[in-house]
Amino acid sequence: MENLGAIALLLAFCLSVFAILASVIGGWKRKPFLVAASERAVYATWALLTAASATLIWALLSGDFRFAYVAAHSNTAMPTLYKFAAWWGGQEGSLLFWSWLLSCYAAVVVLTNRRRHRAIMPYVTATLMVTQCFFLVMNAFVANPFQMLAVGRGITSVPDGQGLNPLLQYPAMAIHPPMLYLGYVGFTVPFAFAIGSLITRQPGDRWIHTTRRWSLVTWMFQTCGIILGASWAYAVLGWGGYWGWDPVENASFLPWLSATAFLHSVMMQEKKGMMKVWNMVLVSGTFFLCIFGTFLTRSGIVSSVHAFAQSSIGRWFVGFLAIMIAGTVYLILDRLDYLKTEARLESVVSRESSFMFNNLILLAAAFAILWGTLFPVISEAATGEKISVGPPFFNRIMIPIGLFLLFLTGVGPLFAWRRTSLDSLRRNFQWPLAGAVALAIALFAGGMRNAYALMAFSLCLFVAWTIFVEFFRGSRAIAAKAGTNLALGAVELTRRNTRRYGGYIVHFGIVLMFIGFAGSAFNKDTTTEVKIGDHISLGHYDLRVADVRQGDKDNYSWSSALIEPSRDGKALAAMTPERRFYKASQQPTSDVAIRRRPNEDLYINFAGMSDDGQRAVIQAFVFPLVSWIWIGFAVLLGGTLICLIPSKIRPVQVRVKIVGMVESDVATVEK
Amino acid sequence: MLVAAAALMLGQGGTPLENPRVRQIGDQLACLCGCGSSVTSCNMLHCHFSEPARQKLLTMVNAGMGDSAILASFVKDYGPQILLKPPAEGFNLLGWFMPFIAIAAGLVAVWWFIQRFHKPLAAGPEPDAATLARVERELETLE
Repeated sequence: MENLGAIALLLAFCLSVFAILASVIGGWKRKPFLVAASERAVYATWALLTAASATLIWALLSGDFRFAYVAAHSNTAMPTLYKFAAWWGGQEGSLLFWSWLLSCYAAVVVLTNRRRHRAIMPYVTATLMVTQCFFLVMNAFVANPFQMLAVGRGITSVPDGQGLNPLLQYPAMAIHPPMLYLGYVGFTVPFAFAIGSLITRQPGDRWIHTTRRWSLVTWMFQTCGIILGASWAYAVLGWGGYWGWDPVENASFLPWLSATAFLHSVMMQEKKGMMKVWNMVLVSGTFFLCIFGTFLTRSGIVSSVHAFAQSSIGRWFVGFLAIMIAGTVYLILDRLDYLKTEARLESVVSRESSFMFNNLILLAAAFAILWGTLFPVISEAATGEKISVGPPFFNRIMIPIGLFLLFLTGVGPLFAWRRTSLDSLRRNFQWPLAGAVALAIALFAGGMRNAYALMAFSLCLFVAWTIFVEFFRGSRAIAAKAGTNLALGAVELTRRNTRRYGGYIVHFGIVLMFIGFAGSAFNKDTTTEVKIGDHISLGHYDLRVADVRQGDKDNYSWSSALIEPSRDGKALAAMTPERRFYKASQQPTSDVAIRRRPNEDLYINFAGMSDDGQRAVIQAFVFPLVSWIWIGFAVLLGGTLICLIPSKIRPVQVRVKIVGMVESDVATVEK
Repeated sequence: MLVAAAALMLGQGGTPLENPRVRQIGDQLACLCGCGSSVTSCNMLHCHFSEPARQKLLTMVNAGMGDSAILASFVKDYGPQILLKPPAEGFNLLGWFMPFIAIAAGLVAVWWFIQRFHKPLAAGPEPDAATLARVERELETLE
């Protein structure tokens, strides 16, 4: 069986090379049979990678420890879910997972677009398969997951494996990497369409329409991956943080930011025929940041608790990245004539300008994070002195940028396309602005002195108000005409333009998340060593350590504290934070106890026993409003799904010139 | 026996973290064990770096040393990499200012784009009162 996986990888590599050659020559020489052959090679590559993946999964589930990968990342005591999750728990397996996901995307893209975009598809296929080929080189020749231990040649048997990293043995971690990878890998599709469009010199923006939904789905997966990672960190790392500005966390955030910029600026191209070069840059940049993130995680260039073992694999990524960037830059520069803007800015105070500022701030955020992540490497290269760049640096830089972005989230959608009159500005903003200022004054009068928190809460109210007004006006008009109530009017309004109103819901989700972020300004915590029966006091809470228990399971030993909390004298349900010690890897983990409420979380970590073994070390935290981060994420996800539903009324962008009148107009026609 | 041994292994010796100033200063110091966390939040079992660092912090705090003196002492012992926030001096200034330089460059680019592609709206004939009234009526009935 061990040969099956390795042979499948080699065959898939050969087929990917064939698919590249057949699609390029078929497209160039207009040979349909070659194009068709390349499409079949894409399907066959998917089948072979599925076979290779199935082989590895079977080895993991059955505990075939002759495989070096299985021995390093699985063991017999692990639950089945985590044996399966070990597929992406190590370097070689995760690269195979990357390859398999890409082959799935490639097969679906070819299957659904081969007849719709005959001219562009050969080059889309070639771009997808170039990326596929690179990862297959990694799988087959650099980080092969089917390497065998020398059983029978020095090693008599391998009874058990090392097991998966204990920190990864958590339900959210079984879902977080696949989601993140679906995002990383998925951005290859819009990139492939962009390259196909450049190669074929397509003057229009059909590729934009085709890939918009791909981009949105991929963005959604990336968002899910990032938030699941944050919720995992919150629940597992034992100190209550959900974002530590770790290089690998940053690497996942970078393509999310550039993709968010693209999802906004793409509207400029759709509606006005503007920003074509910029959109090419954003799509390409997002793909490169995905590859860069993968490189960062695997090269060992920066130290991270998330990173895989240091290896020479980074050089391959640098080479691939350099070639792809050079090729893309050449194509964009060579095709500038096909990317000319079709319209002009009519007013600086317009939706178009707000999108430009939105893009500027999103990319500034991406640059700041990239810069902070790489600055230790740059500094060491320049001065020879090692430095660290951690959360205090990123928070100092990113909080103002984040608040400005929140402000733009509120004002941007209320600017009209083409131009916005002063009267319109006053009508749209006077009450939200007054409300925000009033809230800031009230909070200040109430004793809040944290400037960032004051600004965040005020801006949250401002943005939420503007979104509410947008829904209210439209819903009221529909409800009045149809004779229904406001709620049904809002549903109908959203159905008529899912993209616009789904987008507002996404913005509202972001507002809720910012409320959660702002709450962190008021965190409380204590760390105390207490004897059984003693009390800890934290804010409104009194925590009585009632007992400490120990036990043993197949996979780990555990020790847990029984805490009896009360709030303002009222008894609450008992909490049992646990400390685990995984036997195979000899590593400890925390299984914290969290009492989640909309106003605050009570978060208790049992850090173990004191040196003399007589007292429990309890870390207790109160995190105000943190639940709104997860609630906001759910709202954001709902909004994104609404955006993906086709609108009842489909807007058609008509870019026409009418003699004697202004150019550029948008007409909405009934489907 | 196994349970007792495990319980002993789980011991973390958290005493220094009971002190709020230790936690606060420890949050500014990088744990150099490779965990990527701060001295306060490192969660590694019997960490060879964060545990002695917390004890040292507690000793310094109890001795009445100020925050900057404590940080300076750690920098002297471990180099500037111990600080999670690089000091704003020398080459590090580039680290602090570059994001804002990038924003400024971006603003210049946006200004250039606006200058290049800005075309003021052509002035059309002033609409008469009847047209304005009709537009108002239609706007009223617009969904």
